[in-house]
Amino acid sequence: MKKILKAESLKKYFPVYGGLLSRVIGQVKAVDDVSFDIKEGEILGLVGESGCGKTTVGRMTLRLLEPTSGKVFFEDTNILSLKGKDLAMIRPKMQIIFQDPFSSLNPRFTVERIIGEAISVHGLAQGNDLRKKIETLMEKVGLSKMYLKRFPHEFSGGQRQRIGIARALALNPKYIVCDEPVSALDVSIQAQIINLLQSLQKEDNLSLMFISHDLNVVKHLSQRTAVMYLGKIVEMAPTELLNRNAAHPYTQALLASKPSLDPTNRKRPKPLQGDVPSPLNPPSGCHFHPRCPKVENRCKTEIPHQIELEDGHTVYCHLYDE
Amino acid sequence: MSPKDPLLDIQNLSTFFHTEENIVRSVRNVDLEIYPGETVALVGESGCGKSVTALSTMRLVPIPPGKFENGRILFKGKDLLQLPEPEMQKIRGNEIAMIFQEPMTSLNPIFTIGDQITEAICLHQDKSKEDARGLALEVLQKVAMPSPEERIDQYPHELSGGMKQRVMIAMSIVCGPSLLIADEPTTALDATIQAQILDLLDELRKETQMSILLITHNLGIVAQYADRVAVMYSGKIVEQASAEKIFSSPSHPYTKGLLNSLPKDTISEKLETIPGAVPHPAFLPEGCAFHPRCPEKMDICAQEIPELKPLENDSEEHKTACWLFNEVS
Repeated sequence: MKKILKAESLKKYFPVYGGLLSRVIGQVKAVDDVSFDIKEGEILGLVGESGCGKTTVGRMTLRLLEPTSGKVFFEDTNILSLKGKDLAMIRPKMQIIFQDPFSSLNPRFTVERIIGEAISVHGLAQGNDLRKKIETLMEKVGLSKMYLKRFPHEFSGGQRQRIGIARALALNPKYIVCDEPVSALDVSIQAQIINLLQSLQKEDNLSLMFISHDLNVVKHLSQRTAVMYLGKIVEMAPTELLNRNAAHPYTQALLASKPSLDPTNRKRPKPLQGDVPSPLNPPSGCHFHPRCPKVENRCKTEIPHQIELEDGHTVYCHLYDE
Repeated sequence: MSPKDPLLDIQNLSTFFHTEENIVRSVRNVDLEIYPGETVALVGESGCGKSVTALSTMRLVPIPPGKFENGRILFKGKDLLQLPEPEMQKIRGNEIAMIFQEPMTSLNPIFTIGDQITEAICLHQDKSKEDARGLALEVLQKVAMPSPEERIDQYPHELSGGMKQRVMIAMSIVCGPSLLIADEPTTALDATIQAQILDLLDELRKETQMSILLITHNLGIVAQYADRVAVMYSGKIVEQASAEKIFSSPSHPYTKGLLNSLPKDTISEKLETIPGAVPHPAFLPEGCAFHPRCPEKMDICAQEIPELKPLENDSEEHKTACWLFNEVS
């Protein structure tokens, strides 16, 4: 299958200012050497705990954030080298759906304007055509066209997320970053939005990056899953394989911490101890070593490199280093 | 008090908020008992009244605009709604304690955590500052705070989210409450930290024999930690049963819908959904509040509110408020 997106050793370091003269006193390595690709029509799940850099990765693939170094290829074009018109030409093909449907819609705009803005900015339709296009989009995401003139505050969280999805679809993108699109929603609404995303993805053969901390949702939606910890991908595999045969101790712990829905089975493994360390001062060697139940001596000093276990299943862990 | 008596017995409680435009019916005729030593989960979606039920029990509902319309909240036989405020203050934080969803905003940023824990001790117990500090240190050890001797003199911003929630738990258990209300205690925390905190609460409950009212929207947590479950929808309890029963044989269409809408272990299957959205608590539909979304609605559902009643051929334990089971009386 054709690759729609390819990221090569992406890095994003944020400077930390402090001291008397507000000089740079350190760096937060939010994303540190991350490589992956997304195939056409594929959903890649990106999971990890808060602060692990998953959102930063998502935004860098859209060039909403400039990477410190690395390359992002979108359909064989390195989007980091694009400028001006060329960049503006490629932007419509890549969109984003945000986590919080309350703060990501302009409260002063009507639904019509929110969805239609990008279309008119790119000069793709005007007047009646534009109105028709907006109505089709609303229908597609399950909103009645009666709501055309309403404002965001008149909608529930689920409906607002539908508006956000319609806005992302407005320019017929090929690739959409979904940044925790269902985390702010209630369980019964979550299922509606997940189904919608799934059917849209199939209809238009979209490629999605689905960022989430909810392993169940990622498992349900994505074909492949990448697990991040403190700015690095620690394991990547086809979703089914990852759930069945997780290799990295962190992935195993994450899967084990997911509470089972069976009240008769309460045998819970001991949860992972300690906290996620600060990315300002990450542990040496493998970032996970202070919490790892299978820690060895060299984990404390050597950074593990990529090991391919089987086809498409890669892990960064010294345990598998022969 | 015999162990058969409930520790907390909420009877027919209604808490409304009278705003300028309308009346928000947040809690409507709720009955809920909690027995000593058990964990009862209150489950429901945002705005269903779970937190207002908890705040009513603590008498922390702002009055006005809030108002207790009717009902009683019996705690060890005393009606909390009738107690004068000074009496209530002796119970609040001492016999009934509460931990909140956001450990980040529930701690005072300008006091050390030691100060905040000793404050709770000195309010309720006749102890000197030194003794209180010793007790604070002890309780920090009990909640498995890493290096408590140093942490006790730190400020909240120096702690991680999980550690802050440990401090909140330490503050709430320091006076040895018999009831702990945990309002979404792990919603703001990461998956691996969530398991740590919930395991800690469960251990403390076993050790001290306190009861826990666990408010959550996460059904996985319910399955793992609750003895009994009450499902709330639009201010009413629609189903109440043991955790096993709720998951193995849910009866109310809303409970069924909730369980069905969770992603299953199979990949890429379409999820079942509950159509529509939760009604606004100020504009509730007539009859059963769930009827506009219910796949099994009947004529009567739009007219009359069903009562919470035991299922016919079941024990007293499994109750449902649904006309599907309610007609024979």
